[in-house]
Amino acid sequence: MKVKLWRCVFTASMSAAMLLGLAACGGSDDAESSDGIKTFTMFTAMPGTEINDDNEIMNIIAEKTGAKLKETWLTGQTDAEAIGTIIAGGEYPDFINGGDAMMSLYDAGVLVPWDDYLEKYPNLKELYTDEEWDSFRQDDGKIYWANVFQNTYGENRSTTHNDQAFWIQARVLEWAGYPEIKTLDQYFDLLESYADANPTMANGTKNIPYTALCEDWRYFCIENAPQFLDGYPNDGSVIVDTDTMQVVDYNTTPTAKRYFQKLNEEYQKGYVDVEFATQTYDEYIAKLSTGAVLGMCDQWWNFAYNVNDVFKQQGLDEQGCNYVPLGLTIDEGMENRWHNYADTLNNSSGVAVTTSCSDIDAAFKFMNDLLDQEIHDLRYWGVEGEDYLVDENGLYYRTEEMRMQCADPAYQASHMCNYSYMPQWLGTSRDGKNAMQPDQQASEFLDSLSTPLQKLFDAYGVDSYVDLIGSVEEEPGPWFPMYSYSGSMTTETPGGVAWVKMGEVKHEWLPKVVMAPDFESAWNEYMTAYNAANPQDFLAEMQTELERRAGL
Amino acid sequence: MKNPVKRITWREIAHQKFLMVCAAFFVIYGIVFYYVPLAGWVMAFQNYKPKDGLFGSQFVGWEKFKFLFSDEVFLRVIRNTLAMGVLNLVATFLMAIIFAILLNEVRNVFGKKIVQTVSYLPHFLSWIIVTGILHDALSSTGIINELLVKFGIMDKPINFFANPSYFWPIVAFANVWKETGWNAIVYLAAITSIDPNLYEAATLDGAGRWGKIWHVTLPSLKPTIMILLIMNIGNVLNAGFEVQYLLGNGLVKSVSETIDIYTLTWGISQNDYSLGTAAGIFKSVVAIILIFGANWIAKRSGENRLF
Repeated sequence: MKVKLWRCVFTASMSAAMLLGLAACGGSDDAESSDGIKTFTMFTAMPGTEINDDNEIMNIIAEKTGAKLKETWLTGQTDAEAIGTIIAGGEYPDFINGGDAMMSLYDAGVLVPWDDYLEKYPNLKELYTDEEWDSFRQDDGKIYWANVFQNTYGENRSTTHNDQAFWIQARVLEWAGYPEIKTLDQYFDLLESYADANPTMANGTKNIPYTALCEDWRYFCIENAPQFLDGYPNDGSVIVDTDTMQVVDYNTTPTAKRYFQKLNEEYQKGYVDVEFATQTYDEYIAKLSTGAVLGMCDQWWNFAYNVNDVFKQQGLDEQGCNYVPLGLTIDEGMENRWHNYADTLNNSSGVAVTTSCSDIDAAFKFMNDLLDQEIHDLRYWGVEGEDYLVDENGLYYRTEEMRMQCADPAYQASHMCNYSYMPQWLGTSRDGKNAMQPDQQASEFLDSLSTPLQKLFDAYGVDSYVDLIGSVEEEPGPWFPMYSYSGSMTTETPGGVAWVKMGEVKHEWLPKVVMAPDFESAWNEYMTAYNAANPQDFLAEMQTELERRAGL
Repeated sequence: MKNPVKRITWREIAHQKFLMVCAAFFVIYGIVFYYVPLAGWVMAFQNYKPKDGLFGSQFVGWEKFKFLFSDEVFLRVIRNTLAMGVLNLVATFLMAIIFAILLNEVRNVFGKKIVQTVSYLPHFLSWIIVTGILHDALSSTGIINELLVKFGIMDKPINFFANPSYFWPIVAFANVWKETGWNAIVYLAAITSIDPNLYEAATLDGAGRWGKIWHVTLPSLKPTIMILLIMNIGNVLNAGFEVQYLLGNGLVKSVSETIDIYTLTWGISQNDYSLGTAAGIFKSVVAIILIFGANWIAKRSGENRLF
């Protein structure tokens, strides 16, 4: 009996010890390998592709800087869910880019302030002016993150329209003889007549005249067009009426109603993809990649990088499947502000270092090193001689094979290493000649255009997508963009609660009103549900912030 | 008359000390992993902030519960959870019993084994795969729509996931497809333990196949059915998270969201742990009420019961 008793105790304590041991194994793994190269971890609350562990450029950068980065990405969750789960779990990577959920990380008190390191690392400091850095300060007066996008060094080189637009395939415009398309009605008229005349593509795939993505946070594709159609820039969550300095809710304007009514008509006539409301982002990208979708409303960065690579690989670019942006408005003769010429500083999101990082100084040094021109060229241009060549004037260029290679996902995973959610520059390289990133190099951009795009650019007499969309060139007010405020709202305030609920109502009702057999009654029901979410609470808080930002 | 209740004496405890020590580990395990975490329920009465912790957060009383029950969405979410829970329970429960009885009637042992194995395999698939299959099968270019169009039942494909009224049946169907075979195992085991003499006697009394099922198999299964029913009723509010989360979309939000999804959106995504906890407490309380209710009814009707 004695023996048995002790055996029982022993086994039980062994299993307890094993459980504890397992729990402890989940700990941090900041590793410094034998060759002295540190490996940092990073989580980005955006879907992305993991690069191979033996990625060539990652190793070159590691040799030069003494550190490399293991990036992981969002899969199958929203950014807020992923960050919420990480906070609840209490284990953090060294670097984190939390998308719209940065405030939660700040509230959890796990971010390291940048202030001391900014003085030490000039490349980081250089990213923003003092004024801009100040806008990142939280209520305790410190800076905890820096946005990595839309930041121009030297002269602006933008060739693409890296914003939202109604996009249309080059083949549609070519077929119609390159007409001027200015309004929403003209746009759909053209899509209709093209689809009637050409029901299928060359390979027999049925053309889909129009689709709209409604999934999760990407439902902006269907949601925010009314602000642009009225000629306003992308403030994202409200319109700012510059005459009266009032915020206006673009969800309830007459333009919004006309826009959704138009979509409803097109849906009833069968020109809108029947699956638009239920497709996931992956299905959407797969659909666009077949080249069958004639048009949609979207942000360039939301589809172009994936889809254009596939078009190039499949030869669909030569069939005129590439998308070009149209600067549509609701009525004729209005100005449009789809394109934003200046940098947009979204101070509610960015990259941060967490308190779990074992060597915080090295982490900041690594970000600083990534902004060195040599490393920056490696990240975006690749290896000289392999990925790009230099002509006698010092200009970088790529051959057709190099471009094809760069569009190959397998090559991207084994060779290219963008570290795309780490600090980076757009604009002109420190050598004063080249662009920081290849798609901004004018010569490279024009050479890489497919034949149908070149013909289209000639026909409209433009040099870039930016010229094509023809937005008004003006500096936005100091309040721009208002979405950086709504993005940082929490459910602490009535406005924050209203903002969440408005989002839920719109998620459900926008596709519903588009599909409704009786638009008027569906729209009225939508408006009742929308008003029940108390949008006025949200608007009041936005108005206060607008006045604060505008210094009124 | 002797007292039928056996008293527990210290002597007896000393006598069984080996068992007592072994049991103690499970009691400790239960306390540590089931009861200590309940202290977190305090969060529901606070405005919990991870930075301030359980002890530093502001106490707000019933505030969070008031928010919950004045939120129209939460009331709708309760309705969805109950509806899908009951639908799933009824569908999977009936199907499992019917399937077990039918399978038991198969005389060909080889065929029976094959069918049984094939039928419970879906249980081992994860929901992400099952929902993937459903999504493909029911898409506008999927097999279901192709068949419907080909046989002229429909003139054009329909988008099953765009219509809220199809959502609950789809979820129930998915549950039935996945769990019928697995749930039937318990009943099949119970059927094998039925005394063959009963069947013989029934045959002598002139009962056919249906008669034997009705008068022998089903009454013998009744205790198993009751116990499983009570246990499953406690689970009604666990109508699911993955299925609805993975199959849902904006259009069917009003019928697809369950309490678990609500807890996730507010608790984790909006970082309002307090509200999430409050919703969780509500769910637990309802589950306890349901399971006691079912047990009480079983007791009243003189059936087997759980406790």
